[in-house]
Amino acid sequence: MTQEDFPYDATSNLLTHLGADETPASQPKMSWKDRLLRMGEAPPIGSWRGVPASLAIVGLITMTGFQIETIIRGSNFAVLYMLAVIFSALRWGWRAAVLSAVSGALSFTFFFVPPYRSFAVTDIWYLITLIGLLTVGLVISVLTVAAREDARLALRREASTAALYSFTASLTSGNSLSQILDAVARHFAEVFQRPIVVLLPDADRLTVRFRSAELVFRDRENEIVSWVFQKGQEAGCGTEVFPGSRIRYRPLKTGQGIVGVIGFQTKSSKDLLPPDQIELLGIFMNQTALAITRADLAQKAQRAEVLQEADKLQKALLNSVSHNLRTPLASVLGVLNTILEDGVHLDLPTQRSLLKTAQEEAKRLDWLVQNLLDMTRLEGGAIRVKTELCDVHDVIGAALHQLGEAAHSHSISVAIAPNLPLVPMDDVLIVQVLVNILDNALKYSPGAAPIEIEARLQTGQLEIRVLDRGRGIPEQDLERVFDKFFRVALPGAPKGAGLGLSICKGLVEAHNGRILAKRRTLGGTEFAFFLPMEAKRE
Amino acid sequence: MSDPGSRILIVEDEAGIRRFLHASLESHGYSIHEASTGEEALQVVPAFRPDLILLDLGLPGIGGKQVTSCLREWTQTPIIILSVQGDESEKIAALDAGADDYLTKPFGAGELLARIRAALRRVGPQEGGPIFATDGLTVDLVGRSVRLGGQEVQLTPTEYSLLKAFVIHANKLLTHRQLVREVWGGAHYEDTQHLLRVNISNLRRKLEADPTRPHYIITEPGVGYRLRTESRVSSAPSNV
Repeated sequence: MTQEDFPYDATSNLLTHLGADETPASQPKMSWKDRLLRMGEAPPIGSWRGVPASLAIVGLITMTGFQIETIIRGSNFAVLYMLAVIFSALRWGWRAAVLSAVSGALSFTFFFVPPYRSFAVTDIWYLITLIGLLTVGLVISVLTVAAREDARLALRREASTAALYSFTASLTSGNSLSQILDAVARHFAEVFQRPIVVLLPDADRLTVRFRSAELVFRDRENEIVSWVFQKGQEAGCGTEVFPGSRIRYRPLKTGQGIVGVIGFQTKSSKDLLPPDQIELLGIFMNQTALAITRADLAQKAQRAEVLQEADKLQKALLNSVSHNLRTPLASVLGVLNTILEDGVHLDLPTQRSLLKTAQEEAKRLDWLVQNLLDMTRLEGGAIRVKTELCDVHDVIGAALHQLGEAAHSHSISVAIAPNLPLVPMDDVLIVQVLVNILDNALKYSPGAAPIEIEARLQTGQLEIRVLDRGRGIPEQDLERVFDKFFRVALPGAPKGAGLGLSICKGLVEAHNGRILAKRRTLGGTEFAFFLPMEAKRE
Repeated sequence: MSDPGSRILIVEDEAGIRRFLHASLESHGYSIHEASTGEEALQVVPAFRPDLILLDLGLPGIGGKQVTSCLREWTQTPIIILSVQGDESEKIAALDAGADDYLTKPFGAGELLARIRAALRRVGPQEGGPIFATDGLTVDLVGRSVRLGGQEVQLTPTEYSLLKAFVIHANKLLTHRQLVREVWGGAHYEDTQHLLRVNISNLRRKLEADPTRPHYIITEPGVGYRLRTESRVSSAPSNV
């Protein structure tokens, strides 16, 4: 590594970016040594800058020497020149230091060592002073170079560590692939100052998952990318494989294999990353590959969980469905078989009562199938909410109408707040919500218990409440009644599949509304649902 | 009150449903003809000249909506759509195209017969005279007056034209679109739709004893409204 390869501003650049990262820890702390080394506009050490200035200082000391020659004599002067050497070394580096040492020694010899105006040295003590001056100058130069180099490396290391720290912090902040790609895009651009492209395998081919705006990715690059992905080796610009490309591709490797490819666009084949940035890049790539693997695993785990959940649901569904479908079907088939085979032996009233049973069971079956279909459509997102301004009287009326016979066995009172405006909703769906809630209330209420329906505006929402004096729901089940297939465990409870209320919840939520169940203080249940007065935007 | 001898065409691709409809309708004195596809129905109608058509919405080939449009080119024979829950938009399209009513499967024979009777009865009020009366509600289309239980009811012009549309098509299910077209001219269906709701609501407040349990104007959620008449349309002006 030579000095010229390594422009100092590469580091300062790195530091500027890190400065923007708000982590105070990433700000390198300056020791007094650093301050001294960096005083003023420190040029790259070993540059020719400062040479004229150091010569000027030597000249100045010489001029001063003439003025004060009478006061300070002889070898004491060497100390002044030594100060100049130390200053030049600290300020401008080794070239200036060596030069001021040599020129200082020469000036001293020429002007202030007898015989004056001559380089001849006759006095042995002056010779020692001269050798001392030169030695000190050279040693200081060497030490300065070493110290500055150490400081520079420390700064760079610190910068790299800080860059890496902030990169890994961004990587671990999110587990999703998009968050990781986001972090990669941001940090790679900042630290390496090159347009990049990230390709990850998707199904059986590599697809571009991130591309800097200024990077040109042509179709024929795919061949190089596939090669890199298969071989796990670099290719493209600056390598022996596909050197014609403007992009340098590197594989993202983990212990398990290659998880993707990153490409860096270069300006020319000479525009390569400096070696210690390549080292940093190696670590960045490693971290990226690990993060991608981690995201992949997280996604797989999530998928497995979803599958497991779906599996559990499917089992519950199958259990519920097979039980709930087959029970009424068994009744219907039983009745039909009885009448077909033994019809002649049965009197008419018996036949009628049998048929009545079959009819009721068939209706139950129809209701169940309808609920299952609705649930499936809700979950598949197939139910579309067609919001229109609706009259609440109309909706409640239609629900009561649909309940038909069942609604007449109980006293149902309706109280709608006067001057209630039209409310945006899908009336078909909200009628169904009301029918399901009312059906529930009717099923769980003893014969004469009244049922109340109330509608009013409540903080910018339509609130519809259905209150019954039925058996009530145990406190711990109030939320679970809206779960699929959940049924309150009550002895002798009416038959059902536990779908009605979960459909209600789905339909209300499709309106951006909410539904809840409460226990009433004097017994019974209150179901309330709220619909926003602003139409849902499609 | 069935009209024995009325001819009904059943258009349905499911043999089981056809058999059930045929049996129950024939036992009530209707004469029945069956078609299993829309194409067949279009061929049969001119020859059989049915008084009413029961039309399945989900036919293979030409669907119920297209059959309705084709028939409405030349005949006003009442059409009752048979649908299953789920094809709401098709159903509304068929009603907009001119079908009179719909029934959602599964339905009982009693409900079917009631709808058939209502649809058959509907053929005629236009010729029946200017006075419409049902269950205490009397509408004089010439004098533009409305009476409820003998009391004059004050309606705004819009409410009146809405009621008039119901009276002219008594017992027919009128879709939102059809009502908007009848009352407002239908140029801006989307804009006028909420006006329809407001006017229905106002009309009910003036005519119905309990607007949540309407007696006259019945809501079919998502589809439209119908004016229900239990008794026959009177053709003789008796109480004016």
